[in-house]
Amino acid sequence: MSVETRRNFGTVRLPAGFNGLLPALVLIVLFFVIPVLALLLRSVTEPEPGLQNYAALLGDGTYARVFFNTFLVASVVTIVTVLVAFPVAWMLAIMPSALASIVFGVIILSMWTNLLTRTYAWMVLLQRTGVINRTLIAAGVIDQPLPLINNLTGVTIGMVYIMLPFMILPLVGTLRAIDPMTLRAAALCGASPFQAFRRILLPLSLPGIAAGGLMVFVMSLGYFVTPALLGGTSNMMLAEMIAQMIQSLLNWGLGSAAAFILLVVTMALYALQLRLVGARRMSGGI
Amino acid sequence: MTQPFLSIRNLRKAFGAITAVHDVTLDIPRGEFLTFLGPSGSGKSTTLYAIAGFQDPSSGDVLLEGKSLLAVPSHKRNIGMVFQRYTLFPHLTVAENVAFPLRVRRRPEAEVKKKVADMLALVRLESFATRLPGALSGGQQQRVALARALAYDPPILLMDEPLSALDKKLREEIQAEIRRIHRETGVTILYVTHDQEEALHLSDRIALFRDGRIEQTGSGEDLYLRPATDFVAGFIGNSNFLAAEHLDTSDGTATIRLADGSVISGVRANGTFGRGEKTRLMIRPEAFGMERSPASAELNVEIVDVAFYGERRRIVARTAAGEGVDIRPTSAAMQSQDASPCSRQVFFDPAAAFLFPA
Repeated sequence: MSVETRRNFGTVRLPAGFNGLLPALVLIVLFFVIPVLALLLRSVTEPEPGLQNYAALLGDGTYARVFFNTFLVASVVTIVTVLVAFPVAWMLAIMPSALASIVFGVIILSMWTNLLTRTYAWMVLLQRTGVINRTLIAAGVIDQPLPLINNLTGVTIGMVYIMLPFMILPLVGTLRAIDPMTLRAAALCGASPFQAFRRILLPLSLPGIAAGGLMVFVMSLGYFVTPALLGGTSNMMLAEMIAQMIQSLLNWGLGSAAAFILLVVTMALYALQLRLVGARRMSGGI
Repeated sequence: MTQPFLSIRNLRKAFGAITAVHDVTLDIPRGEFLTFLGPSGSGKSTTLYAIAGFQDPSSGDVLLEGKSLLAVPSHKRNIGMVFQRYTLFPHLTVAENVAFPLRVRRRPEAEVKKKVADMLALVRLESFATRLPGALSGGQQQRVALARALAYDPPILLMDEPLSALDKKLREEIQAEIRRIHRETGVTILYVTHDQEEALHLSDRIALFRDGRIEQTGSGEDLYLRPATDFVAGFIGNSNFLAAEHLDTSDGTATIRLADGSVISGVRANGTFGRGEKTRLMIRPEAFGMERSPASAELNVEIVDVAFYGERRRIVARTAAGEGVDIRPTSAAMQSQDASPCSRQVFFDPAAAFLFPA
């Protein structure tokens, strides 16, 4: 015992198998850690040393609006995605596996289709003279075309569509682990279908909702293509703003600072989720 | 008026081309412990599920105190059920699980607290109230499931092979618990199992299922000592079947000739047989004795092997016609020196032997 204690004081203890991890670590440091540090460095040195970039971003009303808008879009997209994904995931979880794998195939196929193609397809559908508006006018449901594009609605529709697989896949995993007999037991205990959903199915599927929701939220925060094509100028998102700062304004310092703020927020959210899930595990829950 | 408490009327359930339950009719008085016994696929679970409301029968009816249950959805039937697998809610503590049926019924909190405490005391798990189901053994989980199913005082408790996932020792322990709880609460229990020992041990009455029909209903003793069919005789307990030729029947007792030519009279005839008809004689292994008694019939056998099983010996024997016979006399009835392979006579009471169609 005493020998080991002494050794612990002397050297840093490396986990077993550390040497095998070295190549991966070198890769991560070279291609992830160093660039992020370079980004951080730029944000506090350009155009001159100091925190003026952060002060500008956090103090200015215009930038604040972009931050607010980014969180608004990401929140709306996440909520709508959860609402759409849950019934789909439940259906996939209880449907016969042969049929489920076909539906899975369709979902994955959409993920493999080029992102730009899919976004342009939505433009064709959502335009003032697009398929949806023309069909609705022809059917006499509306007189004037609905504003479906170049606004929050367009961004939400386009992004929910792209994010759905990232929500459905973890959720199906969680839902499949729930014994359907548990729900039958709840019914015999006197729980109405809504009570069984509210008190049993929903709490049991929370880990999946949290995992998928966080992934969707974080991806949405930094999303560029879909908001750029389907959104309007009045509700610009952070990624668009960073692109503009660097591409058009060549303001690397401000762009880096904005990117770094996004990174910090993302990591804080991730840490929060780890804590929540971790705490649940510790208490012996799901 | 003699309206039965729970009544199953001509229940039939088909899944596509397969008929799981053909025609089940059964009346169950209040407070009875009735077991559906049968091999897997005999329709016993399907019948139970129809009562629970998980499956709508193709035809027939289920009546509780004269009122049909079929139009009532599961969550309004007010029936308790314990399942084969542990179906506790994994995110709720033991106490919350037991409280669940009371909470969804919006009972006052004080009543919920008291009932949960009573129920946990009933299944002797008071000290586990704040644990999560995952931290409990299988047997403890089934006891919590039992407490949850009884918390709302259901008139009927359904149990679908609740002990099949437990090991033998735990099974016996929980069987004793179930008997005690049945005694203490007086709840009507419908219990499904394929384990005949469990059925004999627990039930007031057993309904033996075969291919979607009830083969025989009666107490364990009825089924064991007075089997209505050879299937019942074969399913409950152990039995030997010997080929026999029917010679004559009078007053329900028959005279037959066995394959080795010996003629035995006074066996019980289950059915009517013609002269010379091929039949089968059923004798329980423990009905054989090693000593002659005034009423006994005899059977010449060749003893192949004897094994000692504690209270009984188990003898593997063969008749002169080559039919295998399983004989289980008490250990005291047979000295160990008799155990060597030899030819000898064994004896049985013809009144404990049954004649069935071949």
